[in-house]
Amino acid sequence: MKRLILIILSLFTVSFARAQIAVDTLSTEALNQLLIEQVERLAEDSDDDADFEELLDNYIFFSENPVNINSDEVMRLVELRLLSAFQYEALQKYRRYYGDFMFLDELEMVEGFDEQTLAIIKPVICIEKDKSKDKLSFKNMGRYGKHQIVGRYEQVLEKQQGYAPIDDSSLLAKPNSRYLGSPQKLQFKYTYNYRNKVRAGFVLEKDAGEMFFTDKVSDTIQRLLGKNYRKGFDFVGFHLYAKDLGIVKAAVLGDYQVAWGQGLTLWSGMSFGKAGAGSSVMKQGRGITPKGSASEYSFMRGAAVTLGGGPFSGTVFYSNRWIDANVSVADSLDEAELVSSLQETGYHRTIGELQDRHAIRQQVVGGHLAFAIAHFEVGYTAHHTWLSTPLQLKPSHYNQFYFQGQKLTNQGIDFKYVKGKFAVFGEASMSYNPDTTALQKALKPAFAGLAGMTFKPAGYLNFTMLYRDYGKTYQNLLGNAFGEGSRNQGQRGIYLGVEAAPAPYWNILAYADHFQFTWLTSQVNAPSRGHDYYLRISHSFNRRTNAYLQFRSKTKMKNSTDAFVFSHYPIFYTKNAVRFNINYQIGRDFHFSNKAEYAHYRNDDGTNEHGYFLCQDIAYKPEDKPFSLTFRYAIFDAKDYNARIYAYENDVLYSFSVPALYGKGMRFYLLGKVKLFNATLYARIGRTVYSDRDEIGSGLTLIEGNHKTDLKVEAVWKL
Amino acid sequence: MKKLLLIITLIISTSTLFAYDFIHPMGGRAAAMGGTSVASQGLWAMQNNPAGMANLEKISLGLYYENRWMLPETAYKCGAFALPTKFGTLGVSFNQFGSSKYNENKFGLAYAKAFGRYLQIGLQLDYLLLKIGNEYGSFKAVTFELGIQSQVTDKLTLGTYIFNPVNFSFEQTLNHERIPIVFRFGLAYKFTKDFIGQAEIEKNTDREGVSLRGGLEYEAVRNLYIRAGVQTNPGILSFGLGYAIRFAQINVAAQLHNELGSSIQIGMIFSIGK
Repeated sequence: MKRLILIILSLFTVSFARAQIAVDTLSTEALNQLLIEQVERLAEDSDDDADFEELLDNYIFFSENPVNINSDEVMRLVELRLLSAFQYEALQKYRRYYGDFMFLDELEMVEGFDEQTLAIIKPVICIEKDKSKDKLSFKNMGRYGKHQIVGRYEQVLEKQQGYAPIDDSSLLAKPNSRYLGSPQKLQFKYTYNYRNKVRAGFVLEKDAGEMFFTDKVSDTIQRLLGKNYRKGFDFVGFHLYAKDLGIVKAAVLGDYQVAWGQGLTLWSGMSFGKAGAGSSVMKQGRGITPKGSASEYSFMRGAAVTLGGGPFSGTVFYSNRWIDANVSVADSLDEAELVSSLQETGYHRTIGELQDRHAIRQQVVGGHLAFAIAHFEVGYTAHHTWLSTPLQLKPSHYNQFYFQGQKLTNQGIDFKYVKGKFAVFGEASMSYNPDTTALQKALKPAFAGLAGMTFKPAGYLNFTMLYRDYGKTYQNLLGNAFGEGSRNQGQRGIYLGVEAAPAPYWNILAYADHFQFTWLTSQVNAPSRGHDYYLRISHSFNRRTNAYLQFRSKTKMKNSTDAFVFSHYPIFYTKNAVRFNINYQIGRDFHFSNKAEYAHYRNDDGTNEHGYFLCQDIAYKPEDKPFSLTFRYAIFDAKDYNARIYAYENDVLYSFSVPALYGKGMRFYLLGKVKLFNATLYARIGRTVYSDRDEIGSGLTLIEGNHKTDLKVEAVWKL
Repeated sequence: MKKLLLIITLIISTSTLFAYDFIHPMGGRAAAMGGTSVASQGLWAMQNNPAGMANLEKISLGLYYENRWMLPETAYKCGAFALPTKFGTLGVSFNQFGSSKYNENKFGLAYAKAFGRYLQIGLQLDYLLLKIGNEYGSFKAVTFELGIQSQVTDKLTLGTYIFNPVNFSFEQTLNHERIPIVFRFGLAYKFTKDFIGQAEIEKNTDREGVSLRGGLEYEAVRNLYIRAGVQTNPGILSFGLGYAIRFAQINVAAQLHNELGSSIQIGMIFSIGK
């Protein structure tokens, strides 16, 4: 009865006070916006070309397969940071008190669910009342399961140096001066999903420059490559996943990811790190999940199973995978092999890259035990990795404590407590490497830990604090916890964040992170320190118009490049960036957006580098027609790479691009989408035209000319 | 003369690149408001963002003169004529920078149309003529400019403008000199019925950095407008007055630059129609 009154009340408030938020007009725009901001921050934070595809696959997956708000699956939204831990708590409390949700509009009654949150999560949630479809049977799987096929082609249209014709003898003299394959990138993906309970699929991929069926290579090179000579798809993966089968909470066979706690002990695959939504940096481990993307580094291949009952659950997993590495014969007498480095790019285009392909075997075995009650969770994770060939890095001061050898064991304990105004979390982890060097042994045990807290004094305000101390001898090949840079080793730091809504339609997000590296790092010849400050002020003029202004300043130490000093000592470098962004909608069908960005970098000789970027986006998305068009025109002026600008670009489904622009010129792209019956076709053409150069890139990617054009075509069939 | 030398020295010392001046905010109102014009309406929008002339109601003719740095050699002269029709507003424009020894001329054919109440789009096709002395001759090029304006709320208007989006160049010149791309976007915000603020950012690919601009307009008494503005890169403060009657308006402005001194602008618009 109480519930009925509440619903009636809520319907009144919905129809009067909030008549303007008609649910049906809420599109995925808000979710997209959130993702764009996260991906841009992630791109700025990662030093190399990070693979966002895998990370963002999850978001797309849930926008196509919404989670039932009345099930435990809602936890996935916390993992994806679409809901905060507090909102999840409030949701569970509401369900305990009033029972399951009957209408999505009821969410407005839940504490902490503001207009923005609702706009973000509405595309990824649903209410499922018909329980009969849930029963796992072959009949249901056939009737309600969804099949999807995705095929994609992409190519840079200009001729790159790596594809220029060359005769055999010159190629043998300089084996890495050409790609052996064709410039097309091809991907084919099949997935099956039955109500998020049973999932299966496979993926085939060939990167640009990798050999395909039609590519011809001379006999000499074939002999040189030996067993590494191969044609066809370079990457092949599959997965088979099921969950909620009695005490078997989840089971997977094939490619998968594992992630628990705060990621300090075990978190394969990508994670948002500092770039998470909002100021909270608490992670929510997702346990075992199938991996359907074509990313070729950092994942598990084998089997895993999670069993659970009551508050307890336990997981065991095993992975056996061939990974890319540079193998050399160390000692000519006994022909002992050593690995000098692991290759992480997943590219197998040149003779050198092919020789490193799948050179060693990496096996991982591990498990996780968890105990969870209403507000509290504690877990224990352990895993052991061994390589078929020992890794021995080229000795250098900075990599003294990096993982070397053949075996590594990690174990750790994580906890989480969310209640009322507080969320407290942490993880402690240690590593054991039997092959440690004398120097490593002489130092303290390998230990790493982090602890954090979010305090929410009122609905419109929250503070977050996180302290981390990762020992300099702590080694982990499969961790991905909060930190500066990607390595959870030899780092100490404090993070403070705040998120506030000081007035209606105004939001402020700010954080400060101070960090120290307790040992030398690559290109830094001493222990060093730095800080990272971020501030974003956003405002909604109305439901269709919002803007933000963002400041970021990051200071880190790097070796001086001064040619007149005897020894290169580290000095501070600062990069500042200011961005203004406004999105607005005209009528029902036109979405416009403008962005202006300024980046500033100070060199050690006192000179400054400046970067500028301005763009106009126009998207035509008629609601009642089966097609849409997106267009961008941008100009950029950043003479130096250090003042480069990252700009997110809309792309074909399941693909993401955040090019780093530098130099001087303009860039535009046109993206079209057409729906034909149950297939959707996408095509995108983008072109960058430089006015300050006559050749683009260097080495194998060199293009003679001042423009670079990329083309992508994709087809998605849904059955 | 001393001043001219100073200016030439300054130009040479600040930039080794040659910069064209085809694009410059026109009209006494824009000049007084720190050069902000991308979200403004009216006849001069034809030169500043053609979308802004889409809702013009009267047949209008405008003349504008800018005595830049009080030097006739660096003056701008501009004329524009607009004809509102059922299918949108048509316009022709002309502007000239420089003197008989060196001048840059732009001839334009403009068209703008409003789509519904909230969106205006404008286009201008340009013929550019560059004349250098007698023995060097003249150079020609063709390009275009595009603009959008949208009223996103009752108070807020947003505008974007791009001149020469595909980066054409003067093919006959020695180095195939590129015509700059000029990209502006900004907003106009109506604080009250008689008080307007404007802000915008401009990137001209011939110049280092970007220019940020802001301006205010206050209707002090009926039909009499007081204006002020500021812009960076170059750093200029500006002030102005405007007076409008039924068939004519006159706008005057003064701009102050710390090193180069002052510039005076005057613009007049005559219009017929109801």
